Amino acid sequence: MNDRDLALHGAAIKRHAPAKAIGELVGLSEERAIELLSEAVATNRVIEAKGAYALTPLAGVALQSRYSLYFQHLRDDADFRAAYDGFERINRTLKQIITDWQTLDVGGQKVANDHRDKDYDAKIIDRLGALHEQVEPILAGLTKGLPRLKIYGDKLLAALEAAEDGDVEWVSDIRRDSYHTVWFELHEELLRIMGTERDE
Amino acid sequence: MAKLPIDDALYVKPPASPLVEATLGLVQELVRDRLRESGGEWAEFTMAGADDLLTRDDFAAIEARLLASGHRFDWSASISVSERPDAYKAAAGDAGEDVGFSHPDAPTGEVQADGKALRGVGDNVVQHAQDLRGTARYIRSNERVLAYLTDGVPPGTIAVIDDSGGTLTAPIIEQFAGVICAGGTVRSHLGILTREYNIPCLMNAKIAGIRDGDTVVIEASAPAKTTEDYQDGIERVGRVWLLAGEGA
Repeated sequence: MNDRDLALHGAAIKRHAPAKAIGELVGLSEERAIELLSEAVATNRVIEAKGAYALTPLAGVALQSRYSLYFQHLRDDADFRAAYDGFERINRTLKQIITDWQTLDVGGQKVANDHRDKDYDAKIIDRLGALHEQVEPILAGLTKGLPRLKIYGDKLLAALEAAEDGDVEWVSDIRRDSYHTVWFELHEELLRIMGTERDE
Repeated sequence: MAKLPIDDALYVKPPASPLVEATLGLVQELVRDRLRESGGEWAEFTMAGADDLLTRDDFAAIEARLLASGHRFDWSASISVSERPDAYKAAAGDAGEDVGFSHPDAPTGEVQADGKALRGVGDNVVQHAQDLRGTARYIRSNERVLAYLTDGVPPGTIAVIDDSGGTLTAPIIEQFAGVICAGGTVRSHLGILTREYNIPCLMNAKIAGIRDGDTVVIEASAPAKTTEDYQDGIERVGRVWLLAGEGA
């Protein structure tokens, strides 16, 4: 992928993020990301609001049209596809874990988890740790096909370790690179690479 | 891998117009796919009937993808927009947002003594202490999302959307007071996001008769729908009411 498309691709995955975060995700320096994103703003490919960049719809379509050029070899690669299929299988478990993390059963009713029950939280973080062990060989398979994807594995592990160390915001907080945030971005990345749509 | 000669050209600047870039990109993608399917080289591929390669249906499909992104074409003669309102920018303002969802199975009712009229139901993502009252605003056009992104979402907005992945609305979700989503389940990504922000949300909603700007109440205090409910096919819903006399 050329640098322009890398910057646009990063903006598409992050959806609305500062240049630094977009650059970090796709392996561009902050300066280079600012340069490319500013040019994209000037040519109506990207809009900037409150210091964060978002792709315009038509720029999204144009980017999508070039994915087969960049990713067809991965779509045809049996090992990469097997890793992707493995990710989709585990994704169902991950969504259930996050839903259980966010809700608590009180007298038969599901209410928001206020995270005061430490035992309940610890059990779910254990489940997340077990899931991560399953996902590690999958991440290795994905990174073998496309080395740039290594950053997702690094960030998932960092988020898991922070949660295990007691900072529970690292499980699913949206305003940071929590386990769920990074997982969701990786899912978005993989859907784009494989040229498929999200289930729901 | 199948490549067009132009794919390897250096120093080719993208077209100035985003619409041209997108259209050209989709045409090239299609030709690349056909070349790959042919299994042959570019020269023999183009010699073997390239004139018939792209059909009217192909271009209709390309136009459909442009429109699916939310793009609407500019027009110079108003007959364009009156003949194809789905393809062109609306004649005045944000009129396209006024037409609400109308689900055939939405339960609706007359105005009750408390001024509330039932306008539908949805799967409650998480049980809140109280119901939520707010202003229904349909979020279906890119223009509206971009405007909210730039200027902020009006306070008290209950977003009515049909995108359970939250693709369009992700950057502005946290500014909503509530969400009514016509698709998905409580485990969809949008369900997870709204739980995280502690925003009342009904998924898989079946609503009818709610216009943009109407004052509505969503039954956030209803029991949440659980995984077991979905597995066992149990109906467990939160209701949506229109507050009479307070519409736009």
